[in-house]
Amino acid sequence: MSSVAAQSTIWAVIVGMAVVNFALRFAPIAVFSRIELHPRFLRWLEYVPISVMGALVATEVLRPGSHWQPPLTNPGLYAAVLTAIVFRYSRSFLGATVAGMVSFVLLRAIIF
Amino acid sequence: MPRMPQTPYTSPPASAIHPGRHSALHGPRWIRFLRGARLGLPIFLGYVPVGVAFGVLARTIGFSVFQALLCSATAIAGAGQFIALSLLSGGTGALMTVFATAVVNSRYVLFGTTLSPHLRGVRPTVMSWLAFTLTDETFAVNIADRRDGLSTPASMAGAGAIAWCGWVLGTGIGAAGAGWIGDPTRWGMDFAMPAMFAALFVALAENRRHVLVGLLAGAVALALPALSAAGLTVSPSWFVVIASIVSASIAAVAFSE
Repeated sequence: MSSVAAQSTIWAVIVGMAVVNFALRFAPIAVFSRIELHPRFLRWLEYVPISVMGALVATEVLRPGSHWQPPLTNPGLYAAVLTAIVFRYSRSFLGATVAGMVSFVLLRAIIF
Repeated sequence: MPRMPQTPYTSPPASAIHPGRHSALHGPRWIRFLRGARLGLPIFLGYVPVGVAFGVLARTIGFSVFQALLCSATAIAGAGQFIALSLLSGGTGALMTVFATAVVNSRYVLFGTTLSPHLRGVRPTVMSWLAFTLTDETFAVNIADRRDGLSTPASMAGAGAIAWCGWVLGTGIGAAGAGWIGDPTRWGMDFAMPAMFAALFVALAENRRHVLVGLLAGAVALALPALSAAGLTVSPSWFVVIASIVSASIAAVAFSE
């Protein structure tokens, strides 16, 4: 990353991103909260959140920055498992997140 | 809070199961808003360092401090914003750059659709704010809270507000201090997001089926890059969306009784 973008381009991107991102987020909420959804569609929706989270965790932990990290020497994998366990028993997002970050730093510094 | 088994004939009052349940659902609106904000505190924690990274990078591409702040404040689109920067620095035009961020953020359509049945009759202003602050993290936190039966539009608005604050604050720090901030993802801050996703995975996994479906989605997401290596090119920004759709569809068919 070296070249500097033109001011007009930067402004256009800022405005364009604001509009597009809001439209993407607002349109489905506005439309689907008004109409009755098919039960089969609702059953499909029930499995969307857990799927998204599974895909995100796997991608972020095992392919950080789009590069595959061998699981056995990946401090993130151990830290993620620990985070999940801490959350399982504490039910605290903040506690689990902090525990994950601390264990990640320690594992990265000491072991790997 | 661990889930307690509930027998149909001696079911205790709801307040005994969730001590804070009454105020979470029926308290004044600002109490519910603040409860949501507290729920979103880990999001804040995770967004600040990533926002700093965006701020620093934006300055090197030619954004002013004000432009960087404005971009984060109006788009709140983590990955989408980073991709925009990398395209801009490569000389890509405005139209193509905006289109690329739309592709990266197409998962918001999935999130919005999933949330929509819970937002019937919500006022348009509140609905707009919830849509505006819809991200991976606010979605997951609010859906998990909804599963616990505690979420209200006010609490969702609170979670969105604290997330927005973290993202904008981080961007401001990064853009203003771009000269002397080194690597903004030191101190494990880069693990804040993955850690939160791991916790949210547990929060959303209600039963064994959910765990199975989530693992399947993870496996599909990891397999997709291998497919593209085999000649079938799939843009990395689509991995999460495709994996989620595939996995949820398999689940909806397999578990349809």
